[in-house]
Amino acid sequence: MTKYVIKRLLGIIPTLLIIITVSFFIVRLAPGGPFDGERNLPETIKRNIEAKYHFDEPLLMQYGRYMFDILRGDLGPSYRYKDHDVNFYIFESLPNSMILGVIAISISVLFGISSGILAAVKQNTWADYLGMAFAIVGISVPLFVIGPVLQYVFAVKLQWVPTSGWYTVDGNWITIILPAITLSAANFGTIARLTRSSMLETLRSDYIRTAKAKGMKSSTILFKHALKGTLLPIVSYLGPAFAGVVTGSVVVESVFRIPGLGKFFVQSSFNRDYTLIVGVVIVYSVILIFMNFIVDILYSLLDPRITYK
Amino acid sequence: MLNKKTEKKPQATNQFNQAVAGNSLTRDAWRRLKKNKMAVISIFIVVIYILLAIAAPILPIYPYDEIVLDHQNLPPSFTQNAGTLLLEKRLADLYTQAWRSGSLEVSEAEEEMLWTWIDANETNKVWDYMLEKGEQMSADGSFTFSATDQRRIERLEEKLMSELKVSIKSLWYTDPISNEREKLSSLTTEQLIDLYLDLSGTDIDTLKDQYTREIEQQLLRGIKDQNPELPDAEYQQMLEREIERLSESRFDSLIKSNILTKITNQIVNDANSHLGQMATDESVLFPVKEEISLNDTISAEVEASRINERIYYLGTDYQGRDMLSRIIYGGQVSIAIGFVGTITSVLIGIILGALAGYLGGKVDYIIMRIVDIMYGLPYMLLVIIAMAIFGRNILNLFFALAIISWLTVSRMVRGQIMSLKNQEFIEAARSMGASTWRIIFKHLVPNSLSVIIVFSTLRIPAFIMTESFLSFLGLGVSAPFASWGSLVGDGVGSMALYPWKLFFPALAMTIFLFAMNFLGDGLRDAFDPQSKNQL
Amino acid sequence: MKKNTNKGSAPLLDVRNLQTYFKTDEGIVKAVDGISFTLGEGETLGIVGESGSGKSVTNLSIMRLIQSPPGKIVGGQILFEGKDILTLSEKELRHVRGNEISMIFQDPMTSLNPFLRISTQMIETILLHQKMTKKEALKKSIDMLKLVGIPAAEERVHNYPHQFSGGMRQRVMIGMALSCEAKVLIADEPTTALDVTIQAQILELINELAKKLNTAVILITHDLGVVAGMCDTVCVMYAGKIVEKAKTEDLYASPSHPYTFGLIQSVPRLDKAQDGKLYSIEGQPPNVIDLPECCPFHPRCNKKMDICTYKYPPVKKVGENHEVACWLYADEKEKSST
Ligand SMILES: Nc1ncnc2c1ncn2[C@@H]1O[C@H](COP(=O)(O)OP(=O)(O)OP(=O)(O)O)[C@@H](O)[C@H]1O
Ligand SMILES: [Mg+2]
Repeated sequence: MTKYVIKRLLGIIPTLLIIITVSFFIVRLAPGGPFDGERNLPETIKRNIEAKYHFDEPLLMQYGRYMFDILRGDLGPSYRYKDHDVNFYIFESLPNSMILGVIAISISVLFGISSGILAAVKQNTWADYLGMAFAIVGISVPLFVIGPVLQYVFAVKLQWVPTSGWYTVDGNWITIILPAITLSAANFGTIARLTRSSMLETLRSDYIRTAKAKGMKSSTILFKHALKGTLLPIVSYLGPAFAGVVTGSVVVESVFRIPGLGKFFVQSSFNRDYTLIVGVVIVYSVILIFMNFIVDILYSLLDPRITYK
Repeated sequence: MLNKKTEKKPQATNQFNQAVAGNSLTRDAWRRLKKNKMAVISIFIVVIYILLAIAAPILPIYPYDEIVLDHQNLPPSFTQNAGTLLLEKRLADLYTQAWRSGSLEVSEAEEEMLWTWIDANETNKVWDYMLEKGEQMSADGSFTFSATDQRRIERLEEKLMSELKVSIKSLWYTDPISNEREKLSSLTTEQLIDLYLDLSGTDIDTLKDQYTREIEQQLLRGIKDQNPELPDAEYQQMLEREIERLSESRFDSLIKSNILTKITNQIVNDANSHLGQMATDESVLFPVKEEISLNDTISAEVEASRINERIYYLGTDYQGRDMLSRIIYGGQVSIAIGFVGTITSVLIGIILGALAGYLGGKVDYIIMRIVDIMYGLPYMLLVIIAMAIFGRNILNLFFALAIISWLTVSRMVRGQIMSLKNQEFIEAARSMGASTWRIIFKHLVPNSLSVIIVFSTLRIPAFIMTESFLSFLGLGVSAPFASWGSLVGDGVGSMALYPWKLFFPALAMTIFLFAMNFLGDGLRDAFDPQSKNQL
Repeated sequence: MKKNTNKGSAPLLDVRNLQTYFKTDEGIVKAVDGISFTLGEGETLGIVGESGSGKSVTNLSIMRLIQSPPGKIVGGQILFEGKDILTLSEKELRHVRGNEISMIFQDPMTSLNPFLRISTQMIETILLHQKMTKKEALKKSIDMLKLVGIPAAEERVHNYPHQFSGGMRQRVMIGMALSCEAKVLIADEPTTALDVTIQAQILELINELAKKLNTAVILITHDLGVVAGMCDTVCVMYAGKIVEKAKTEDLYASPSHPYTFGLIQSVPRLDKAQDGKLYSIEGQPPNVIDLPECCPFHPRCNKKMDICTYKYPPVKKVGENHEVACWLYADEKEKSST
C-alpha cells in the first residue's frame, strides 16, 4: 500500500514539471511579456519583476530559479498590481472558491448517488422519471444558463434571496445556495445517471442473484452487497467531477459576483496579468492533481481486486 | 461494422419455416433507434437547427450585425412593429409623467399599487399599467395631453413614419469621356481620392488628415475589442506598433474603404432627404428601389424601406440588433464549431490512437503518457489562457478546443485497435502484404467506427458547451459575431429589465443541447451490444 | 444412494406446467414451456439437456429468481410442501430461499460477491437461517470449507473471491449452499469448473451430505454418466420442454424418445467400442423464439413423421413412471384428431 502511494506520488512529478515549464515560457514569451521592450509597465512593477526573475541571467538559470520559487510556493509579483504579489491575491480569494466548491461537490455526490439509487430501485416509476429528468437537465443545460435563470427566478422575481452578495463578505449564508446549486447541477446529473445504470447493472449481476437465493432482505442486499460495486464507477468519475467544478466555478463566480479564484482568473486573463494567470493555474492544477490522487487511493481501497503494485 | 454491405438475399428460412433475418449490426441499431421516441424527435430537432443554420443567409431576417440605435432593447412582439413599440414606450412615459405631475388622476387603490411597484423597482409594470389606463382615459375623453405633449407625440409619429433604412445595392462610376460604367470599388485608391475631392470640394491635405485620423481610430477600436480592459497608455502603444507593422498595400486598402464609406454616407444622406419626403406624404409604397446620382460620374442603386416597420419577433439587443437573427447566426457559429471541432478532434484522436494501438511499443508509450499528463491538467483553464494570449477569434478558439479534446477518442481507438489487432482478418491482411497504414485505415478504423460515431455524437454538445462557455466569459467569439454563449452572456447583465435577451438564446441553445444529448444516448443504446441482451 | 420415494404422501416439490418466457427484441423466447415434474423428500432428480434447453431457467423459476424484465413466469404452479411458491409474499419467499431450497449456481466466477470476504458471505448465510453467534458461524464456515476441500481453510476464509481459483470458488459456492441445510438443494452444473478428480469428489460430497441430511437434490448436468450414478429420476429437456421422464434405470434400459436415444448413444463408452467413431446428434438445437406448434426435435430426428412438423406430441406413459412426448407412442386417434 505504502509502495503504491509512493508510486502514485512519483507519477505526479512529470505533470507538475510540465505545468511549471509551460507556465515559465508563457510568462516569458507571451506578447507584452517582460522581454518585450516596448511594454511600458509602471516603474515599480517593472523593478519588482526584474528583481524577481533576474532577466540578466542565462535562461536555464532563470528556469531553475523559477522552478525553485514555485516549489517553495512563491508565485512571484503581479503584472498589474504593485501592492501585493500573486500569493497574496490567491490566498485572499481561494477560501471563497473552496467553500463554494466543497459545498457544490457534496451536493452533487450526495443527491446524485441517492437519486441514482432510488431511480434504479424504483425503476420505471415516477421517482425514476423525475430523478432522471433533473439529471438530464443538469447535463444538458450549461451552467451559465442555469445560474442566470435561477437568479432571475429566485432573486429577481420571487426575491427569496438577494441578487448578489457572498457569505464571507456579508455573513449571509443564504447567498451560497444558488451558486452552489448551479455549480453542482452538471455533476449531479452525471453522477445520478451513472449511479442508476451502475446500480441496475449490479442488481442484474450473478452475485446479487446469489444473495437473493440465500433469502436475504432486499435492503441488506442493496446496502451490503450492491452498494460497493455500484460506487466504483462513481469514484472514478470524481476526478473529472473536480475538474468540472474548478472550470464551472469560473463562470459561477462571475455570474454571482463571488470574490473567488475563478472570477479573479477571468479578470486577470482579460488584463493579461500573466504571473497571476499562471499562479492561479498552478494552484488549480495542484488541487486537481491532489484530488485525483485521493480518488485513486479511495478507489483502490474500495475495490479489493486492485493490487498495489 | 457500420458500412459493411449486406447483400440482399431472398428471404431465408430455417427448418421450422421461420423467416431468418440477416443480423447486421447497423440495421439492428437503426431499428432500435427508431423505437426510441426521444431520439427520433431529437433527430428532427437537430435537422431543423442545422437547416436553419445553413439557410441563415437566405432567410428573410434582418442582418444580424446591423445596429439600429433607435431600436435598442425592444421587447419581442409578433404583432407590433418597432414604430408602434417606440410610440407606446413614449406614450407610457408621457402618461406616467402626467400621473406624477397630477394632470392624470387615478383612484386611491391604483395610486397605492403603483407606488408599491415603484418601491419594488418594478417600473416596467408601472409603465404597462399607465399605458393601458391612459389609453383608456384618452379614449373616453377623461384625459387629454397638454399641447406640448401632443406636439411631441405628433413629431415622434412623423419621425417614425419618415425614418428610412437606405441600403446601397451597387455603386457605379461613369467615365465622363467614354461614358462607360464600372463598379466604383474597382477604381484605384488615387482615382477615388480624386473623385471624392471633386465631390466634396475639400483640399487634399485636409482629406489626408481626416482619413489618417479615422483609420487610426478604426484600428484602435479593433485592438480594444480584442483586448478589453487595458490602460489607455498601453492601447496607444499597441496602436503605434500596429501602424508600424501595417504594410503599404494594407494601408492603401484601408484608405480606399474609408473613402468609399464617405461616398456611401453621402449617398445615403442624399437618398434620405430625397425619399424622406415621400415617406411622410405617403406618395410611394415602401420598400422602393431608386437610382441616385451624386454628380455626373458617381451614381448608385439604393433600396429604401421604413425602418420602423420592422417587426422583431424575439426583440432586439442593446444595440438594436434583431435577436432572432442573432440567435440564428449565433447558432450557426455554435453548431459549426461543435461539428467541425468534434470532427477535427476525432480525426486527431483516431490518427494518434490508431498509431499507438497498432504500432505499440515506444510510440504507444509516448502517446499514452502525453494523454495521461494532459488528462491531469485543468484543460479549460489552459484554453482560457490560450485565448487570452493569442487573442479572441473563432479560429484560435477552434484550435484551442480541438487540440485538447482528442484525448478520449485516442484512448478509445487505441483500445479498440488493440483488441482487434490480433483477429484473423488482420492477420490475413498482413500475410497478404498490406502496409501498416493500409491495414489501419482499411480494416481497423472502419471496424471501430460505430463506437467512434456514437462517441462523437455525445461529444458535440460538450464541444458546443465549451465554446459557449468561453464566449459567455467574453473569451470566445467576439462582436459583431455571435454565438449562443456570447448572446447569453450579453443578456445576463440586464436580465431584470430585458429578460428576453437572456431567455431566447438560452432556450435555443438548451433545446439543441437536449436534442443532441438524447440523440447521443439513443445512438449509444442502439449500438451498445450489451444492451442487446438486457433489454 | 438410490432409494425409494415414499409414494402416497404429497411430494416435497411439485412443478406443474411451468412456463417462463423472455421478452426480447427479436420476439418472445419460450425458455421453459409447460414442464411438470415432482421431487420427493430425499430424492435426487437429474435434469439433462443440451445447452440452451432451459435447465437453468427452470430452476431459477423455482426460486423465483428470473430477471424481470425481460423474463416472466407466465403460467403454471410450483408447489413446495403444498404451497404455491409463485403466490408467496416477499417475506415468505425469503423464508423459502436458502432455508428450504438452496442453490448452487452454474457460474462460480461471478456468483460470489467480489467486494466481500468469503467469511462475510458465508457467515451471513449461516446467520440468516440458523441461530448462533458470529463466532460459531465463522467456525462453521471454516468447517464447511474444509468439508469441500479448501486447504488452509482457517486463513483462506478471510480472503476475497478473486484470490481463489475458479474451482475453489465453485467449492465455496457449494459449501455455502450446503451450509443452509435446506430441504431441497438445486445444483446447476456444480462441477463444470472443476477437474475430473475433484468433480467426482464434489459429487460424492453432495451425495453424502444429501443422504445424511435427507436433502432432496435437483442435479442439472450435461453428463449422463453422472446422472446414472446419482439420480433416482431423470428428466430430459429439449427446447424448453421435457421430452422424456423416467427412473434412471428405465431410461438407460429403454430410452424411448429419439433424442434421449441419441444422447445415450453419444456418451463415449470404453466398453462398447463403436468402430472408433463417436456418435453425435446431427444439427443444432432450435432457437426457441416464436417456435411453431411442432415437435422441436423433428429437423434432427431420424424417425420423423409428417405430423411431427406441425403438431406437438402428447405426453404418453410407456411404463411405470416413464413418460415420453413423441408421436411414435401416440395412438392413431390422437394423430388424426387434427
Ligand atoms: N435473460 C434472458 N433473456 C433472454 N433469453 C434468455 C435469458 N435467460 C435465458 N434465456 C434463454 O432461455 C433459454 C434457456 O436458457 P438456460 O440458461 O435455461 O439454458 P441451459 O439449459 O441452462 O443451458 P446451459 O447448459 O448452457 O446452462 C436460452 O435459449 C436462453 O437464450
Ligand atoms: Mg444453465
